[in-house]
Amino acid sequence: MKVLIVGGGKTLYFLCRTFLAKGHEVTVINRDSEECVRVSRRLKVTVVHGDGSDPAILEESGAHGADAIVAVTPNDQDNLAICQLAGLQFEVPRALALVNDPDNEEIFKSLGVTSFSTTPAIVSMIEQRTALDEITSLIPAGEGRVNITEVVLSADSPVVGKALRELALPVDSLIAVVLRDGRAVVPRGGTKLGAGDRIVLITLPENHGPVLRAVTGESS
Amino acid sequence: MSSNLYVVIVGCGRLGSYLANALSGKGHSVVAIDIDDRAFANLSAAYSGFRVEGDATELAVLREAKMDKADLVIATTHEDNVNLMVAQVAKKAFSVPRVLARVFDPRREAVYRRLGIETICPTSVAADLFLRSVGRQAREGEA
Amino acid sequence: MRHAAYLRQRYRAILSYTGLILLLCAGLMLTPLAALLAWPAESSRAWGFAIPAALMGALGLAAWRLLRPLAGVVLTVQEAGVIVLLSWVIVCLFSARPFIVVADLGFTQAVFESVSGWTTTGLSVVDVTQAGHLILLWRSIMQLAGGAGLAIIMLAAITGPTGPALSAAEGREQLVPHVRQSAKLVMMIYSGYMIVGTIALRLVGMDWFDAINHAFAAVSTGGFSTRVESIGYWNSSAVEVITLALMILGNLNFVTAWLLLRGKLRAVGRNGEVRLMAVLIPPCAVGLLVLTCRGLYPTLGKSVRVGIFETVTALTTTGFSTVGYANWNAFGWLVLIVLMLIGGGTCSTAGGIKQYRVYLLFKSLAWELRRWLLPRTAVVEHPVWEADRQVFVKDARLRRVGTFVFLYLFVFVMGTAILAAYGYGLKESLFEYASALGTVGLSVGVTSASAPAGVLWAEIAGMFLGRLEFFVIFASLAKLVRDLGDATA
Repeated sequence: MKVLIVGGGKTLYFLCRTFLAKGHEVTVINRDSEECVRVSRRLKVTVVHGDGSDPAILEESGAHGADAIVAVTPNDQDNLAICQLAGLQFEVPRALALVNDPDNEEIFKSLGVTSFSTTPAIVSMIEQRTALDEITSLIPAGEGRVNITEVVLSADSPVVGKALRELALPVDSLIAVVLRDGRAVVPRGGTKLGAGDRIVLITLPENHGPVLRAVTGESS
Repeated sequence: MSSNLYVVIVGCGRLGSYLANALSGKGHSVVAIDIDDRAFANLSAAYSGFRVEGDATELAVLREAKMDKADLVIATTHEDNVNLMVAQVAKKAFSVPRVLARVFDPRREAVYRRLGIETICPTSVAADLFLRSVGRQAREGEA
Repeated sequence: MRHAAYLRQRYRAILSYTGLILLLCAGLMLTPLAALLAWPAESSRAWGFAIPAALMGALGLAAWRLLRPLAGVVLTVQEAGVIVLLSWVIVCLFSARPFIVVADLGFTQAVFESVSGWTTTGLSVVDVTQAGHLILLWRSIMQLAGGAGLAIIMLAAITGPTGPALSAAEGREQLVPHVRQSAKLVMMIYSGYMIVGTIALRLVGMDWFDAINHAFAAVSTGGFSTRVESIGYWNSSAVEVITLALMILGNLNFVTAWLLLRGKLRAVGRNGEVRLMAVLIPPCAVGLLVLTCRGLYPTLGKSVRVGIFETVTALTTTGFSTVGYANWNAFGWLVLIVLMLIGGGTCSTAGGIKQYRVYLLFKSLAWELRRWLLPRTAVVEHPVWEADRQVFVKDARLRRVGTFVFLYLFVFVMGTAILAAYGYGLKESLFEYASALGTVGLSVGVTSASAPAGVLWAEIAGMFLGRLEFFVIFASLAKLVRDLGDATA
């Protein structure tokens, strides 16, 4: 895929690295000439120096042929402008904007721009108050109404050795996937959980704490 | 423009403050928003509207200015992207009947007209006037 | 030379707008004559009103029309201050005339009553049993108008100067984003209070004349009464409750009142002045009840009523009373004096130092204490709720508040000294001057028709300075003097 990324800083750098690792072609647009030089030295990407919301710059960066554009500047208004321009004028099929003010997510959606905000993810990670080393909160999906969390089962976890149907997990929660020895298994009622298994839990924010406690045996 | 309109002016620089002073003097209720409160020094003694200090790309600031009650929103900050975002938010989220945005870059103007935003491009306007003046001069030269 | 010409042009505008105010107030001076419909016997006294009204009206009309500025002039705050000073002085002088002619008062006493009316104080040298309906009604009307403010009246009425300067110079905050709309709104709220108040008082037992007068005096936190015993005359809980409600409403900042009327109770609850009132009124009322009133009045119920009523009347700077204070102990006197000094809400009809300033100073104390406990390099901002938004108080603001409070207390001490120099007791002097300076109106007897002229003039100065909050007067006087010097140079 040809991906255009507009923005700077660490967000940009690691996004690029991830896209490159997956084999995509990346072009970076950035306003700061020194940063452009740094990025150009460290990554195998095309770097364009300019304003990503300027149609001329987008054109030069190959927006006509881009499959996706990601706007991760610190300014919501610039991210909006970039995605709208990319969609309207260059017909880029996938456009994604970073939204800094969570209030703006709704607005962006009503204007036809897909957006994401890191604020809820960070907040939910802090709020869960659970042991972060064994637990990775993947994504709050469905506008924060669903949590998907990956948990490593330690040996003294209360659910080890039990089959799924024997577990008394709170309502509205699900163990969706069990990862064991590098293989992913979608469990059934009879699947037994073992120490070292990585399970992917689906929970609602209301029961997230209790479910995690039931699974890890920790009182928060 | 005889009845009292509720006008929100985003960006209190030279153009914004000029409009704010004029509209307030005519009897309209005006709220001026600017990210820097030093910009309010541009407002004249005749201005009797309110001032809101804050970043207009944040919904909370627009709510503080009571944009839901606005009859008219004029976006006149120095950044085209901010003006365009504010204009769209005003139309979509606050259902403001009339929204005007200043856009400096003529190339962006066309795209945003497609989105239904009423824009005024000082660059194009000035260019038109200049060209007409040059055209006149050329014709007078031939005569 | 150019400066002199420039000044002449500005003063055309200033005097023209002053003239407009005089014209409007002349109209107001004729309104008490409506009482003639009910009491035609007093028509012989009508001339005492008609002549000064006609003179002031003519003066005002002449100034307004002849000096009318050519284009739409925008006033600066300093110029508006001069208008405020000139119009208040002239209006007070003309308003004194009816008292000289009709109520047979001397010049000093008449000016005193007039200033007491316009500044919504309520201290009186008039014998209300002899005064007649025209005079009584005029006193209440002066308080009603003075409470609203001359600027508001002008703005809400017809075309006046554009710009917020005049409103700001008289101490009014804006409710909505246009000064004229805001003035109209203030007038509407005020009229609402007045109408509802009058009807309510009538319903609890006052006759129409008393109801109108007391409603006017209550919502303007003025305090003139048609009865010698003030509200105590009726000795009725119902009357007192209605009056309490009106006094508290009148002392609310108009912006707060506007929020309350629109149902924004959370914002009202966060308001500093509302909180201060909630913190002050109950302990003071209880304190008065237990330490002062309990032994003095026949029933516990009466003592409770007195405790509450006197607390509220002093704090809101209204000045209605239900009892005399001669038999009160020192504690009771002290509570009342402190409450009178604190005063009512800013940008309302009340006087005193004003609750917002006192609230800020208390908060400032708390912030200072907190700062000692925080890390040295911590950055602290001071949030306070004003109207329906949060603002951050800057040090300059606190400095101005501190200076004002100092000036207030300084003038208070000076005034008390003058009264004491005339031979009055310490507690009487403190009480009476706190009442005058705070435009309250409660009296312990110092103020009377037979008081020495020096005492009355000291109180007149106090009432005037208190109502216009010192700075407008000093600054405008200084400007006038300097401009006269420049213009005639």
